[in-house]
Amino acid sequence: MNLVITGMRGSSERAFTLAGFRKMRRRQRLAYSSPFGGVLFFAMAAVAQFGFSSQTAFAAGETTPSEPVVASAATDTLPDAAPELIALRIVPEEPALWGRAASQQFVVMGDFGDGLERDVTSQSRFTVSDPDLAQIDESGKLIALAEGQLELEVALGGHSTRARVLIEGVNEQRPFSFARDIGGLLTKHGCNATDCHGSVKGRGGLKLSLNVLKPQADYEWITKGGVYQVLTEEVEGERVPRIDLDDPEQSLLLLKPTFEVEHEGGKRFRKDSEDYAKIREWIARGAPYEEEGTGAQRIERLEVYPRLTALKADTSRQLVVTAYFSDGRGQDMTGDVRYEVVNREVAKVSSTGVVQARGKGETTLVVRAAGRTVNARVGVIGEPVPDYPVLEERNFIDEHVFAKLKKFNIPPSGPAADAEFLRRVCLDLTGTLPPAGRVREFLADTDPKKRDRLIDVLLNTPEYVNYWTYRFADLFRVSYFHQSSNKRAEMYWHWIRESVAQNKPFDQMARERIGGQGFTAPTRHYHHGGGEMPLPSNEMAENVVLFMGRRLDCAQCHDHPYESWTQDQFWGMTAFWGRLTRLGWSGSLMVHFDDPDGHGEIGQGEKVIHPRRKLEVAPSFLDGRTLAEDKLHDPRRYLADWMTSHPHFAESTSNRIWSYFFGRGLVDPVDDFRSTNMATHPELLEALAQRFRRNGHDLKDLIREICRSNAYQMSGVPTGVNLDDELNYSWSRPRALDAEVLFDAISQVTDAYGDFGEAHTQRRAVTLICPDRHPLHVLDIYGQPDRSVIPERKNERNMEQALHVLAGSTYTNKIKKEGGRVERLLGAGASDRELIEEFYLAALSRFPEEPENAQLEAMIEGRPERKEAVEDLLWGILSSPEFAYNH
Amino acid sequence: MNHSGCASFRKANLNRRAFLRAGSLSLLGIGMSDFFRLQSVMAAQGLENELNRAKAKACILVFLNGGPCQVDMWDPKPTSSFRPISTNVSGIQVSELLPRVAKQMDKLALIRSMFSEEIDHPEAIHYAMTGHRQNPAMRFPSLGSIVAKEMGSHKGIPPYVIAPGRSSRHFGSAFLGAEYEPLNVPKTDEGEFELPDLTLPSDISVERIEDRRSFQQVVARLYREKRPLAEFDKLDAFSAKALEMILSPAVEEAFDLSREPEKMRDAYGRHGFGQSTLLARRLVEAGCRFVTASGGFSWDTHKDHDAQIRDEGVPPLDQALAALLEDLKQRGLLESTVVITMGEFGRTTHVNPDSGRDHWPHCWSMAIGGGGIQGGQVVGASDERGAYIADRMVSIGDLHATIYKAMGVDWEKTYMSPVGRPIKIANSIDDQTGVPLHELI
Repeated sequence: MNLVITGMRGSSERAFTLAGFRKMRRRQRLAYSSPFGGVLFFAMAAVAQFGFSSQTAFAAGETTPSEPVVASAATDTLPDAAPELIALRIVPEEPALWGRAASQQFVVMGDFGDGLERDVTSQSRFTVSDPDLAQIDESGKLIALAEGQLELEVALGGHSTRARVLIEGVNEQRPFSFARDIGGLLTKHGCNATDCHGSVKGRGGLKLSLNVLKPQADYEWITKGGVYQVLTEEVEGERVPRIDLDDPEQSLLLLKPTFEVEHEGGKRFRKDSEDYAKIREWIARGAPYEEEGTGAQRIERLEVYPRLTALKADTSRQLVVTAYFSDGRGQDMTGDVRYEVVNREVAKVSSTGVVQARGKGETTLVVRAAGRTVNARVGVIGEPVPDYPVLEERNFIDEHVFAKLKKFNIPPSGPAADAEFLRRVCLDLTGTLPPAGRVREFLADTDPKKRDRLIDVLLNTPEYVNYWTYRFADLFRVSYFHQSSNKRAEMYWHWIRESVAQNKPFDQMARERIGGQGFTAPTRHYHHGGGEMPLPSNEMAENVVLFMGRRLDCAQCHDHPYESWTQDQFWGMTAFWGRLTRLGWSGSLMVHFDDPDGHGEIGQGEKVIHPRRKLEVAPSFLDGRTLAEDKLHDPRRYLADWMTSHPHFAESTSNRIWSYFFGRGLVDPVDDFRSTNMATHPELLEALAQRFRRNGHDLKDLIREICRSNAYQMSGVPTGVNLDDELNYSWSRPRALDAEVLFDAISQVTDAYGDFGEAHTQRRAVTLICPDRHPLHVLDIYGQPDRSVIPERKNERNMEQALHVLAGSTYTNKIKKEGGRVERLLGAGASDRELIEEFYLAALSRFPEEPENAQLEAMIEGRPERKEAVEDLLWGILSSPEFAYNH
Repeated sequence: MNHSGCASFRKANLNRRAFLRAGSLSLLGIGMSDFFRLQSVMAAQGLENELNRAKAKACILVFLNGGPCQVDMWDPKPTSSFRPISTNVSGIQVSELLPRVAKQMDKLALIRSMFSEEIDHPEAIHYAMTGHRQNPAMRFPSLGSIVAKEMGSHKGIPPYVIAPGRSSRHFGSAFLGAEYEPLNVPKTDEGEFELPDLTLPSDISVERIEDRRSFQQVVARLYREKRPLAEFDKLDAFSAKALEMILSPAVEEAFDLSREPEKMRDAYGRHGFGQSTLLARRLVEAGCRFVTASGGFSWDTHKDHDAQIRDEGVPPLDQALAALLEDLKQRGLLESTVVITMGEFGRTTHVNPDSGRDHWPHCWSMAIGGGGIQGGQVVGASDERGAYIADRMVSIGDLHATIYKAMGVDWEKTYMSPVGRPIKIANSIDDQTGVPLHELI
């Protein structure tokens, strides 16, 4: 989604007419209401914030707007030492103000000679063309006084630019809505935040929905009183309204936040504040929910400028937040929303929307207004780098990655050497090291297109099929334990293998797995342990994690505490897996199918009962639509169609695939998309997802595109400046090999196989159909998942590994294995130098460098037992990080 | 009405209240910062004192995998085929299958009103070890990992050992990280403990290891120089520590059962339970914080229940547990070692057509002693069949809280999971925090 509010640059030649303005507005609206634009996506989200920052909490009530002035007192000059100012921009350029007491926050951005843009709002001088229409204060906040059009000129250091402001309806206002007007205040003052009344159980007896997710319920708790119960719908305690219609000032809703009575949350606003007056006036009017027959005008979406901010240390930047209402109008909400910074070590933000840099790094910033959430990314950056390297952009991936690196002053390391690339891409595409001979060939090849050629070759190898079958078997949890028999696990595994081999469109694969009926391979994951029926809530949560990248789990027991997931959504989705039944306990009888009418072995299958309402739940999609009655015979098929056509599907799949090549997702963890965990490169993720969708969910196509990018083919050696970069791909950070890949690599280099059995699928750990049939201590300690849950491979180093490398059987036994590489090479009479070279090529995919060669040779010569020395050399190679990591 | 939410929230409240009251204190001339200091000292004092009094430094969990039958062990009832016998504590009876432990009853407290929310093994074991119901999208740290984290490692001995063990996520550290994963000590086919990775293979001398490491240094040098990463330094640290462990006589000795006098090995019993609990004692003596011991017997007796537990299950446990308690006492370790004997749930009080007893999570029993736990008493009670709780339900969270309290760990603590979900270390039913059993500690 796009940054908005950037106005319509280049439109200044156009005659400024009201009609033209409106037309432009419409166009702007169209442009931003993509089918799954920012708002819907971010509305599903809110803020996690633990602990209580007295600073932000108390600051919120204390803000007083400074006095409006016609022109600011700023000097209009820059300090002498500052870099040269090249251009000035004002945001927004053409705002339309509407309604009583409308205002607009402006930001003035300067582009400077050092390549940075800075917020120069406070240094700039503002002049309004018609002081009768509006006033502006030093902070860049314009307050409308009368209807009309005006120009706002801003000047700094000899540059100037202007914004055009339209003011309408100064005597009008939107019909009252509790959700928007009172709910908005509850959000702004943090009352309904997770750490206050918005928590799972509420606080101090008052439960409010997180960020006005359920205005009707909030209204009831406030106007009728009572204490919410998590596990039942019953209301606890005597119901004492929290408003006093006869004496509004005695309402708890006002006494508490002004701290006239004890309030755990402290003072949220003052008695003489505007917000106090708004609530008092609402109660005095009889505390209506909304005005009859008007239809509440809600905030439809929220936008923040800028979405991506790069700030230098000790500088600050004004944000501008605009809400778009269901009447189509936009409104500046910069001072009327809640700001939360996820990582407060990076930046802080004031209640007026000024972001202040603190320490180097990046963080997500979340902005909330009644019922809506939007996020932005803030980075605090280092000094500009002289001679910033320019790299060739091979595709859209490079455009996005390199643009952000540039913006954040992080220099990329440059292209990887051939040997580096070869090892990396072989491991990533096939989980296999290139054999020594292939390394020699590739390094000698002078074809400038040899990398692209290699990618295409690898994508068509049997090893690619093996490796990606293993990846999906892991993800889809193929195991003896879960499928309860070899035969069933094999069926399931072969289905994955066939799908990978054919490069089946991934949406089709997902549909087959989600919607499977009867005795087909992809239904085999519905068997658990001894043949129990799957728990519908677990099936649902797993599929949403797998195919939408979201964790709904918290909403199982209560509305999600940080995100806008309700318990109703959780159980509505779960109900798609209700009423599953089977025909028998074993063998081919074990057919699973949806059975609303109850012909199966266990009657009508498990009904899904809502834990609070205690009623059976009808299948309903996350967007609230309930599955039509005539589709209940095959509910998961419709769900599968819905899920795979949902934007989350392509987005989360692209993100997961990306993570296989870079060691982290653009959103990371890959299955934890949420408002407080924003993508490091939102536009790139969107572009990847779009391409994936457009090309028919073609995995190979996506993988090829990633591998061809220079971002992927970046050098694995950091520069002095980019060493700490973990988020922006300025160098290819070492990634620990997965347990199975590492084990297979050791077997390959030592040429010592035979740990699992004789069958062709049992030669390597990645080709095992049921890894749980072949437990191996070394795989265990390197983090092979047991597939009882969706695997998360952290690949963290631990003590047991260190012990195993030194004293365990894997390394020692494989190195000295009869008929293994060491024995064979020694038997063939290889010289020390030849041995060293062979080991290096086989294990590290490179030739030894000169100091290494000579040193190692000398070390071998210095030992009485040549065979022992050679074994120890190989141990030294296999235990080195260069071997155990991909880089 | 207490709707105070989880402990992290409660603590946040405390601070906030303190802050609010501070206003009035300024009248007394006490500044805000003084007040904060005072307040936090005062607030922490009570709990701190309690935690400082804790005596336990280690915990041995004798785990009865499969779910032992409450009425045939700790809670004799007419529904059992076995008779009750008296113990060395008047008024407490146990099953006749436990004659040796009966003589040590003053060292043990029995809880006869345990409750689990799970009815099948993997789920119930996970629940018993973590206090949380399983969730396919989330892992929870186990009791042992939490103890390892809170207590830290001691004398270079791995803080958390499972013997015999194979890695399982029920006993793992989840998001706490690799440092707190248990060290699993597998068993050989001959029933001996296998310690391959703590002792060098016979043909590899210490000098050879040094030679190998010098090769590795040459190979790794260029690569490491170009990438000065903390992760690789960590690798070095693990490797150095591992070598230290391999070369340390203390570690090797701690794991080496052959160093026990034959008489002691006999006293614990030459069976899975005996040798495993003996190893646990050795490890605790050496400085280990949490050891999970178990025998080879499966307590999941859906068939021929009586014969199985009479002939194979209980007698070895009886011998091993009695020997362990006696041994710890004699070595002066009982006061500093919590000993827990439990399974993941109990068994039905009725017998099924296969003469077996099936899973029963609704009411079951366990034994706990040592580490400052007041022995010789019974907490809670079941009904006359031993099937349902008649008095004082004890949750897994309460049990965990009791263990933490005995070890001086703040049981109200929560950890923040990577996704920002607060995870109680003592998690009880319905999202409550477990409460230590005041009768015990």
